Amino acid sequence: MQNRFPKPDFESGYLYPEPHYPIPHEALWSYIDVGVLLLLMSFVAWAIIKKQVRWPVTLTSVLSVAYFGFFRQGCVCSIGAIQNVALAWTTPSYSLPLYVLLFFLLPVLFALFWGRVFCAGVCPFGALQDLVHVKNYKLSKAVTGALSTFPWIYLGFALLFAVTNSQFILCRFDPFVGIFRLGGEGALILFGVLLLFFSIFTGRPFCRFICPYGAILGLFSQISFRKISITKQECINCQLCHNACPVDAIRPPYVNKVKERRAAGVHRILRYMIFTPVIIIAGSTVMYVLSDKFSKANKEVQLYEAVMQNEARPQEVQSLELQAFYGQGRAKEELWTEVEVIKKEFRIWSGIIGAFIGLIISLTLINLSAKRTRKSYEIDHAKCVCCGRCFSYCPQNQKNIISV
Amino acid sequence: MRSYHQKPTNPLERRKFLINGARWLAGGIVLALSGFSYRKSTAKGSLHFWQIDPSLCTFCGRCQTDCVLSVSAVKCVHAVKVCGYCDLCGGYYRANVKELNTAAENLTCPTGAIQRKYVEDPYFEYTIREELCNGCGKCAKGCNSFGNGSLYLQIKQDLCKKCNECRIARACPSNAIRRVPISKVYDLKE
Repeated sequence: MQNRFPKPDFESGYLYPEPHYPIPHEALWSYIDVGVLLLLMSFVAWAIIKKQVRWPVTLTSVLSVAYFGFFRQGCVCSIGAIQNVALAWTTPSYSLPLYVLLFFLLPVLFALFWGRVFCAGVCPFGALQDLVHVKNYKLSKAVTGALSTFPWIYLGFALLFAVTNSQFILCRFDPFVGIFRLGGEGALILFGVLLLFFSIFTGRPFCRFICPYGAILGLFSQISFRKISITKQECINCQLCHNACPVDAIRPPYVNKVKERRAAGVHRILRYMIFTPVIIIAGSTVMYVLSDKFSKANKEVQLYEAVMQNEARPQEVQSLELQAFYGQGRAKEELWTEVEVIKKEFRIWSGIIGAFIGLIISLTLINLSAKRTRKSYEIDHAKCVCCGRCFSYCPQNQKNIISV
Repeated sequence: MRSYHQKPTNPLERRKFLINGARWLAGGIVLALSGFSYRKSTAKGSLHFWQIDPSLCTFCGRCQTDCVLSVSAVKCVHAVKVCGYCDLCGGYYRANVKELNTAAENLTCPTGAIQRKYVEDPYFEYTIREELCNGCGKCAKGCNSFGNGSLYLQIKQDLCKKCNECRIARACPSNAIRRVPISKVYDLKE
């Protein structure tokens, strides 16, 4: 620290003012947040599994939008916590706050036991879209099928940029946080408003086609110990629940007209699976080749390229980054070794994540070819967000109420 | 093999078995993951806050423009024990001013957030009115160039939203903004 002017010797008995630096009660707030999260998820689980009613979900949605949304204003959320957990795994210098870990973990555990109760109304993003949903227009199967692979691809890239300590893209391109904070990047707020506009007519576009956390929860929800069911009575195939479902998670009865022995079907699927390694290797190769481009998301790599450009052709007006670089007297070689390490990390992780994306695509394709006969309407638990709209539409449930 | 042919397994039973296996596998994975992640997390040292390292800050002015808040959470703070209490203050007056008076064209602060009070000859006390400060860092730049560097920028933790991806950290040209634990939420000069 420079000391151009000596400390003054005051003669008038002057006392230095006491500066005040406010420290937030973060520990307290994080406990409250985790508590509210647990409470709301339990409430939703009780309502949809035990009671089969929707009103608690609506109530939870309002509470969540008010508390997690407008009051706590977003960060840290479970969706973003994916990146913190990934960063903690690969970067020893980053220590993960316990409550961020809990925000990531608790909804996953709940999904394993009772399905996507977090999505139902505890997540303020889902809640906000659910509350504005009025008219249910169904999108075509081809559109939903193609778009539902996007969350996985988005997850792949989020992990790539998180583990290389470059960016948290899930947070950077978060469309709703600006709405909750009543301010932020204009383009993102516009995107959020557009998503909300679309969710008036079709259920939860963000949850279905963008949210990577929902995709993870869907995996666990598929194998959950207790599952949501539309009615405790027998299905009468009236189709009302199917029409009411905002996220297209109720599959209609289906008669597989292709008569095929079970063994033949298994062999057919196995034949498709032979292509899986091919797609995985292709995905991995493509991402590996592109890894150099991805690495430009890292600030150190950007800085290095700016420095190299400047060395090759000195610019008259240097960017702030270059001024800072030369001002700090950093050595070019030192930066280069750093960038080499980062680029290597990018190559490795791009390969792994390319393989992951390939796997997702090939599994999606295989899934399309597996046609199962269904005798009645069935819930697709990976897609079901437990909003509970179907309960009141089911005439069997109505009958139950009247008989009581 | 023989018993397999005699008692064909029901596909539904088989599916149930597979789903059960997947459940316990998933549960195990979650537990292992949480156990491992828990070891990575320490409540006290966990990096949850953002703060500017004053030794790296270049006073570029992006803190003012890039924070998600309409008025940045970054404010100028004043290390009184570092300050020289000069009359001709590099943070208060613009460089090469003709007259040392409080006319706006002579002052660095665009919002009039720096106030000064006469203490005794030749010393003046400077205070920052936080509600007016927009974190542009012009005074800090002046103070660092001509004075002791007692004016510098810090993120006020009561205003900061603690975005998981801090926008000014991404915009910072010198990587001066870092995640810090609660024990080091301010990087103070005194």
